[in-house]
Amino acid sequence: MIDCANFRRALLADPGDPDPRLRAHREDCPECARFAQGLARFEQKLERAMRVRAGEASRTVPARAPRRVFGGRPFGGRNRLALAASLALGFVAAAALWLAVPRPTLAEDVVAHMAEEPQAWLRTAVAVPPPALRAVLRDAHVRLSPGAGLVTYANSCLFRGHQVPHFVVQGERGPVTVMILVHESVARPRHFDEQGYRGVILPVPGHGAMAVLTRGAGGDAASVERTAKRLLAAIVWTA
Amino acid sequence: MNDQVRDDPKRARFQALCQSLRPDLLRFAIWLSRDRALAEDVVQETMLRAWKAQDSLQDEAAAKPWLLTIVRREYARSFERKRLPTVDIDELIASEEPSLAADSDEAELAQLRRALFKLPDEYREPLVLQVLMGCSTAEVAAQMGLSTAAVLTRLYRARRQLRAICGEDTSMDPEE
Repeated sequence: MIDCANFRRALLADPGDPDPRLRAHREDCPECARFAQGLARFEQKLERAMRVRAGEASRTVPARAPRRVFGGRPFGGRNRLALAASLALGFVAAAALWLAVPRPTLAEDVVAHMAEEPQAWLRTAVAVPPPALRAVLRDAHVRLSPGAGLVTYANSCLFRGHQVPHFVVQGERGPVTVMILVHESVARPRHFDEQGYRGVILPVPGHGAMAVLTRGAGGDAASVERTAKRLLAAIVWTA
Repeated sequence: MNDQVRDDPKRARFQALCQSLRPDLLRFAIWLSRDRALAEDVVQETMLRAWKAQDSLQDEAAAKPWLLTIVRREYARSFERKRLPTVDIDELIASEEPSLAADSDEAELAQLRRALFKLPDEYREPLVLQVLMGCSTAEVAAQMGLSTAAVLTRLYRARRQLRAICGEDTSMDPEE
């Protein structure tokens, strides 16, 4: 048994702690369940606050000259030339590599996107508030019927130049992530198993495609496809 | 390098892997240093070192902790190269904040970022590793060379402080 103070202490240290004793306590104690719900909301905000802009750093100029954290010699002269040279070299190298590397497949892009939102994989019983879920799904003109299951994460993500719904349903074997890709198309189901993620991209006639994936011991290819088909059946297209 | 990549699918794959992890590594470095310019230097150096040492990475699944280790080491090296003056946190926030926020961010996220800036380094780092980088407690402990108990204590204190600064309802939080 775990008491309320220890439950809350454990959750404040690790809100994603999968310890079954924590889950059991939350089910038995409404006060702690409320605490967990509040903390889950805080965690989502925290993760969003940390996800600062990372792509276009050099284009953003602070309102005034940034105060350097470190002291040392003034920044100028040879340092400035060295920085310019290294930036130019870096740019040329990056451009050369970009040209040399083959375009990633849709599955590779989906997997790469997962690395940007590790918070989505929390095992939790706290549902996303319905208005927030509706707002996310609006991008793809869809609603979810109750058959979809417990949705514990929802975000509208920039993916290949489009805002797409990205949500997580808690399955029997852990979290299952779904991306509704109305701007993509695949001719037939494409299974993938990359970097620890296993999933399938299904064609959705008239509505693009849908990616469904798990990670770790979340299920084999057949069970992922079964889950994907169940989720597909739970989606209601509104346009 | 171009020919190397074209001729070697393994190297191309490694490059793609690094590029996919780069945004989060930069975010981690920003929160570590609280200085975007320095963070960009650290990540650039990290990518260079990773490229040179890629043969030492046996398992792609271990790429993230491996790169995180290099980022932390590069950041520590920047301490060795430069002297540390006293930092005025309010000035630091004012100068760095505009480069961090997205245009659509609401006020409460800006408040949370300011609170993160003020958090002591020993609390902010494990929190960023856990929340942003998705590291488990054991992984954070391994990165920082701490026991898991020490990491959990720091994470607990970090959240308590943040929640208090941000005006969250802490009436149900346990006593220290």
